[in-house]
Amino acid sequence: MNHGQQSGEAKHEDDAALTEFLASLMDYTPTIPDDLVEHFLAKSGFQCPDVRLIRLVAVATQKFVADVASDALQHCKARPAPVVKDKKQQKDKRLVLTMDDLSKALREYGVNVKHPEYFADSPSTGMDPATREE
Amino acid sequence: MKRRRNSKLKFEEPSDQSPTTTADFTFSLTRIAVSQICQSTGYKSADSSALNTLTQITAKFLQSLAGLASSFSNAANRTEANLFDIVNGLQDIALSTSDCFPGGSTVHDIESQCLIKSAVLRNLSDFVKYAPEIPFAKPLPKPERNGSSGRDLDHAAVEVKYVPAWLPPFPDASLYSDRCTKIDRSEYHHLWENSDSVTDRESLKSKSFRGGRSAGKLPQRRARVRFKMERDNSIGGGGPGGGDTRIERWRDNDGGESGRDVEVKKKIIDEYFYSAGEWPI
Repeated sequence: MNHGQQSGEAKHEDDAALTEFLASLMDYTPTIPDDLVEHFLAKSGFQCPDVRLIRLVAVATQKFVADVASDALQHCKARPAPVVKDKKQQKDKRLVLTMDDLSKALREYGVNVKHPEYFADSPSTGMDPATREE
Repeated sequence: MKRRRNSKLKFEEPSDQSPTTTADFTFSLTRIAVSQICQSTGYKSADSSALNTLTQITAKFLQSLAGLASSFSNAANRTEANLFDIVNGLQDIALSTSDCFPGGSTVHDIESQCLIKSAVLRNLSDFVKYAPEIPFAKPLPKPERNGSSGRDLDHAAVEVKYVPAWLPPFPDASLYSDRCTKIDRSEYHHLWENSDSVTDRESLKSKSFRGGRSAGKLPQRRARVRFKMERDNSIGGGGPGGGDTRIERWRDNDGGESGRDVEVKKKIIDEYFYSAGEWPI
């Protein structure tokens, strides 16, 4: 009896938390615009009039991208810094999202990104990253 | 945020080539959003190929989540997805991307029937609570609502609720509203014998200009028609089936009392049978 009452209270709290979360989605503005998410959802046959659920999908996607990016950033920071002579440039260590870091980060999320070894991102590829033009 | 904006940024502007198709447009929009998210995590710049890859993966993520949620809703005999479908889809994705949404294997408590028990949803709720809000760089231009785009927000208020939103919008009301209002239901409630299929077309045509009415309704006053059915056995002494029957039909326009009813006169040898009744013409 006592246990049932406790679970009932817990359920009530959980319901309140869920309602609060859904209400907070109304005020939260995800980085990915609603219209864009709606377009992608409609392409996959998803149909929902509730803007909160569209925002929930947007938030989930945003979290996914942010997690991937922060993982790639950790990879980028963990790499040994290139030897540079200029002190000023060393201090201003550039944080560039590169294909290497991204593929390493994405591998942890079950996405295998493979790109050719000789793939040239830009004309400056192959040069020392520290000597690149800003 | 302000400091970051003032510092040297080298995120590529996606507007270097103007998008031509819808796919290009959505791709460039997604790229802006993805680069904003990357910026918020601390990146200062990105290779274009890496950014493009991450953008594509974002689009794939969105579409796979939407596909999962819609398949869950279809499995439950629904066309519109709800929160349960999305959470189920998130759980499935969490299983494959175990790092992003930990706790994907712990399905939400079925006994309590509460979705917030799902670790995935709790993580998202924490994300919403604690992550800084980064609005999209620019307000999106209002897309042109032409016929090809299924959803027409302007007409949504006019449309009835049971029409799904993905259907193309209704045509202009002037195209069909006239025809709908012109249908007079009372015309369908005539008796069958008064309809066109039964009524003699010729007589109808001749009446129609006189009475000024059409559509199978006969005028009240009309010329009388008399039938005279005569059976004459010229050979004589034969059986009842031996004679031939002639039906004479004439129309008397004088409107006399005698012609009030249609008379059928049958003459079989010496006997006359009179039967009077109204015959529909």
